[in-house]
Amino acid sequence: MITREIAWRLFAGEYNSSNLELKGEAERAPTYIVSPLGALVNRVFIVGVLTDLENIGSGEEPLWRARVSDPTGTFYVSSGQYQPEATAALSKIEPPAFVAIVGKTRTYSPGEGTMYVSIRPEKVVLVDARLRDYWVLETCKATLRRIEAMTDAKEMATPTIEELLKLGYPKELADGVVRSFEHYKDLDLNKYRSMVLDALKYLLPEYQIEAEGEVAENASAPEEIEEAEAESEEEKEEKVLAIISKLDKGGKGAAWDEIVDEVAKVGMDKGALEEVTNSLLDKGMIYEPVLGKMKRI
Amino acid sequence: MEKEELTPHVSEISRVLGNKVDEEQIWKELDTYLNLYRVSLETAKRSVVRKLGGDPNALTKGVQKPLAQLGPAEQSVDILAKVLSANRKEIELNGETKTIIFGLLADESATVPYTAWDADRFQFNRGDVVMVRNAYTKEWNGQPQLNLGTRATIESMDKDAVKLPEGMEAPSYSGGPTTCKVADLQEGMNSVSITVKVLFVDSRKLETPTGPKTVFSGMAADETGKVQFSAWHDFNLKKDDTVIIKGAYVKSWRGIPQLNFGERAEVGRAKVPLQGDDLAKPRRRSVPDIERVGGAVDALVAGVIVDIKKGSGLIFRCPQCNRLVQKGLCRLHGKVEGQPDLRIKAVLDDGLGALTAVLNKDMTERLVGINLEEALAQARDAMNPEVVREKVEERLLAKPVEMRGNVTSDEYGLMMIVTDAEIKVPEVRNEAAALLAEMEGAQ
Repeated sequence: MITREIAWRLFAGEYNSSNLELKGEAERAPTYIVSPLGALVNRVFIVGVLTDLENIGSGEEPLWRARVSDPTGTFYVSSGQYQPEATAALSKIEPPAFVAIVGKTRTYSPGEGTMYVSIRPEKVVLVDARLRDYWVLETCKATLRRIEAMTDAKEMATPTIEELLKLGYPKELADGVVRSFEHYKDLDLNKYRSMVLDALKYLLPEYQIEAEGEVAENASAPEEIEEAEAESEEEKEEKVLAIISKLDKGGKGAAWDEIVDEVAKVGMDKGALEEVTNSLLDKGMIYEPVLGKMKRI
Repeated sequence: MEKEELTPHVSEISRVLGNKVDEEQIWKELDTYLNLYRVSLETAKRSVVRKLGGDPNALTKGVQKPLAQLGPAEQSVDILAKVLSANRKEIELNGETKTIIFGLLADESATVPYTAWDADRFQFNRGDVVMVRNAYTKEWNGQPQLNLGTRATIESMDKDAVKLPEGMEAPSYSGGPTTCKVADLQEGMNSVSITVKVLFVDSRKLETPTGPKTVFSGMAADETGKVQFSAWHDFNLKKDDTVIIKGAYVKSWRGIPQLNFGERAEVGRAKVPLQGDDLAKPRRRSVPDIERVGGAVDALVAGVIVDIKKGSGLIFRCPQCNRLVQKGLCRLHGKVEGQPDLRIKAVLDDGLGALTAVLNKDMTERLVGINLEEALAQARDAMNPEVVREKVEERLLAKPVEMRGNVTSDEYGLMMIVTDAEIKVPEVRNEAAALLAEMEGAQ
């Protein structure tokens, strides 16, 4: 029986943490991403806020890049001439907008051990906040089910598909959980539990006030330090921009790995670099022409 | 190749030759083929076996697999299994009568039906443990079935070579009765014991090769779902009876499991009837839950519409055969005046699996809020019937829906003929608050 690939519901926080890919061996065999919680993903269904949208291709050969946010992070979406329907739909959207996307997983590995995931859309539709809230709740439930499966697997000496099937998990999840268990050693399930908690709170108005209160408290921290930091932030940005220019020899952007190596020489770690590049991306100073490459605008 | 590397191959050839040939001789022959004639190892082994009077097909060529890992189209596979049943049957093949053996094989991982196409060559007896080599599989009812053809060989193994988990020794095929619920019924089950409420029953006369026969068929249900049944004997079944059936068997129609019972079955009345009118209501099922048994009667599936397939929206049908007319042509009747119709083929995905949902004109009109006249007018204005499909997509894509209907299956997967559908975007706050309280309570 030919079965259609499941459209998995998972948060950006889980999806983007995936770094295991299963390439199909036979011809036309599907490729899967194994998420940390054992989702065996070939297709996804996501709903979120489309925040950025840009055609980095040309009129004849469009290549749209979009970012879609959910309560846990950002999905990276790219759609070109081989997805005419999704590309046409994307081109008509004015961000910010609530969108639902059905799409296939894509990966990009700039080097050993690193993998970036994105989504190549099959369908893109405008939706409303109610549908987004529905998706967040459904995705919370789906994530909890996977956390439960991982917890059960942890309790087994060696988790097997058969044992998980006996506990009533569907075969795709059982398979994914066993693979995840082998690959993501000592996974911190609490991280994903609190991700779900935060997402649930996101749906409840009483918690939104509390969250804003927290921000206000933090804002009253000593101003001097902030200013000092703000200055050094700018300095850091300057440094990173200079490095990107230097590394971008072919005009196709600077490879992420090389940027990481270069900034290390001036005493900046990967975490700090990510903060700086995110800020630069937000300010529109740089962009990613392809996943894993940065280019100045 | 070095001698050490060849040792396992020499032992294998020796095994195939029944350990009757001196290993030194085998080694010499193999060495000649490999190192003098430089043929591939596989060719060399086959040639040596043939030369020394053995059957090259008995060489391990396929990979040995546990039964649970058998695919639907294995070309050459080896398995080590216990024979759970071995039935002989005479068949006519190309005008010749031939005896075949069929039954079930089992190992630690699964049971699989098999057919050995030559009873003279294969000695299968119930309880034997055998090594089968060079068998192939075919798909039957969505399950792999093992076939032993002309290339296959079997070898008797030690009885302890396969240890079965408890319960597997007595499969539903031949063993004692299995008590189960409607949602568990699966093609091929025998000796089923089940308690159901009869929702309705009709009788009809059939002409059979053994004379006219009355069959009592209808619909029954328990709290897990509904099932069509056929009673081949008059058990005086009445609507609303709660009956305990023992010795029923299951046959599928287009993947939908159906309950059958004849005069050898026992039918009793339950002391405590299954409660309520709501047994007549459809049950909520997940897609993999239906997939596991092949189909369902009057099920409810809730999910999201993730695709609207081609051929949805405004379509034209042949006035003679109702087939789809494409570019003014019917596949059977050529150029015809197509009759307009509305239908949707949507993919409904519940996050665990997906099925194709087919909606007829009435369902399409209700769900999309467009009638056939309006659809025709829109298509005329745009000079393109595709606009109707776009409208359907706009209205339905990414929407959570609940659909009701019978679910059948074939090689293209599950298909629901939708009898009722509703777009339902549930209110999330109460459920989110409850889930949050539960999670925080558990910490």
